[in-house]
Amino acid sequence: MIPAYYEFSNRAKVLSGEKAIENIPYELQSLEASHPILVTNRQLRDLGLVDIVLSALAAGGIEVCAIYDAVPVDSSVDVVNDLARVYREAGCDAIIAVGGGSVLDTAKGANIVLTTGAQDIKEYMGTEIIKARCMKPFIAVPTTAGTGSEVTGAAVIKDTERHVKMGFVSYSLLPDVAVLDPRMTEGLPPRLTASTALDALTHAVEAFSCRQANPLSDGYARAAIDLIREYLPVVLDNGRDRTGRLAMANAALLAGVSFSNAMVGIVHAIGHACGGQCGVAHGDAMGILLPHGMEYNMDVAGERYGELLLHLKGAEAYASTPADERPAAAVAAVRDMLSDAATRAGMPMRLSQVGVSAEQLPVIAATAINDGAISMNPKDADVSDVIGILRAAL
Amino acid sequence: MKTDVRVRPGLAKQGARVLAKVVFAVMGRGLVACARIDPRVRAEALSWPEGTTITLAILPGHPSVTVRKLNGRLRSLGSKGAGGSTLLVTFKSADAAVPVLLGMKSILQSFAEHRATVRGDLGLAMSLVRCLHIVEGYLYPDIINRRILPRPAVREAAGHLRAYAGLLGGSVNLKQEGAAS
Repeated sequence: MIPAYYEFSNRAKVLSGEKAIENIPYELQSLEASHPILVTNRQLRDLGLVDIVLSALAAGGIEVCAIYDAVPVDSSVDVVNDLARVYREAGCDAIIAVGGGSVLDTAKGANIVLTTGAQDIKEYMGTEIIKARCMKPFIAVPTTAGTGSEVTGAAVIKDTERHVKMGFVSYSLLPDVAVLDPRMTEGLPPRLTASTALDALTHAVEAFSCRQANPLSDGYARAAIDLIREYLPVVLDNGRDRTGRLAMANAALLAGVSFSNAMVGIVHAIGHACGGQCGVAHGDAMGILLPHGMEYNMDVAGERYGELLLHLKGAEAYASTPADERPAAAVAAVRDMLSDAATRAGMPMRLSQVGVSAEQLPVIAATAINDGAISMNPKDADVSDVIGILRAAL
Repeated sequence: MKTDVRVRPGLAKQGARVLAKVVFAVMGRGLVACARIDPRVRAEALSWPEGTTITLAILPGHPSVTVRKLNGRLRSLGSKGAGGSTLLVTFKSADAAVPVLLGMKSILQSFAEHRATVRGDLGLAMSLVRCLHIVEGYLYPDIINRRILPRPAVREAAGHLRAYAGLLGGSVNLKQEGAAS
């Protein structure tokens, strides 16, 4: 498939492997920076993950001029502005973000404020409107293998006044360097490992089948699914398996590159709404909703899903499945993955298991159809369609 | 050596701008007309906060159309009032806008191809897209609609002719129309 027109960008340099963090001082020098602020949260400090980064920086002669560890679970305008204030007051010249999606999104938001001089970050809400040529040097060190935020040009930040999540999409938000070091994820408990992995899987499947899919994003999505198929069982069996952890971190990054360029669709739109309205953890929502979203899209994206069977089940299963049965087999393969994650790690398989009730479905659906992701879904969906998907997943 | 390399846009480019200006004006008035005749568009507009100002434009200084909701009325301001928009959808060039405006390419496909940028709340942008799909359903013949709309056009309340007639009006009282229908 070749689109009539597409755009693609991934300028983040990737450091992947053992002791990758030890190369951050060199990367800072390459970015002509020497006084970074380290952005993280208190839980990660308590777990000792931040110390690994601080130790590497100290060994490389880099002095961190401030540590900002007050990032909450949901990034917000207030936190972004506060981080920008600390950065300015401490005289920093680069950002190192160590954490999951919230920490990385907070750093991206602060980078907008610092680079543009914006008084109100809301001025930059939208897509492709940040025109800053030189953002602050930004190094991302993910501590989960799921969001792919270390290579995406998107950030979600909560407006605490209006109680809405604001979307920011721009190639300018891409970090300069993404650092994948297995030490950052080897302590993740199985439940979180499974939840974040299914988020990455959903990124890859949706990016592969959405309106913006293109040959470059397809390649990243296929590679991501291959790694998840092979290594998710490995890390669920043994979280200390560093090869498996590195592979899963790469899978999340590959899926991140893919969806940053091809976008995501109805599963994310509904998942965001489940999170906003009912507090469902994002990865849990993705795992539960993905097979239902695929079934909804089947009549327009079935052929694409059929192609993914090769990556979801491997070459032998693909070759032995008749072409017309591959789309349904791909959905079954996703269900198998979710079922396996439920058995090994206690992943929920239905929305009712994560606190969603039938009475909440209309408000979730009304929220989902206003989520930008739904516009890139290969098949149109209105409120009644979304309620149908939610009922099937309840 | 010749250093003056200014190039004037060709006739086709100038034509595209003129065309965009005309179709933008029709779209703005079409949105207002459909808010009058179709309850789905009216419901979307009623959900927008008071003072919402939506602008469709092609790069700064080029053709644009602005629609504003104020005091319960939805009004097309034409090419005036493009400043201070709550939601600004900007096509990156006239060449990017014309296929969309002429019904040769869907709005969603245009976004998928990065032909346009959005400044403002993406939720409001989704609401606008739903409205524009309904407007296109009234303004374009079904042979075009089948190609650009995500699902078959439904003209719930009126036919093409009433929508075209509605283009003559520049504003609509949303609450009054809602009570009347």
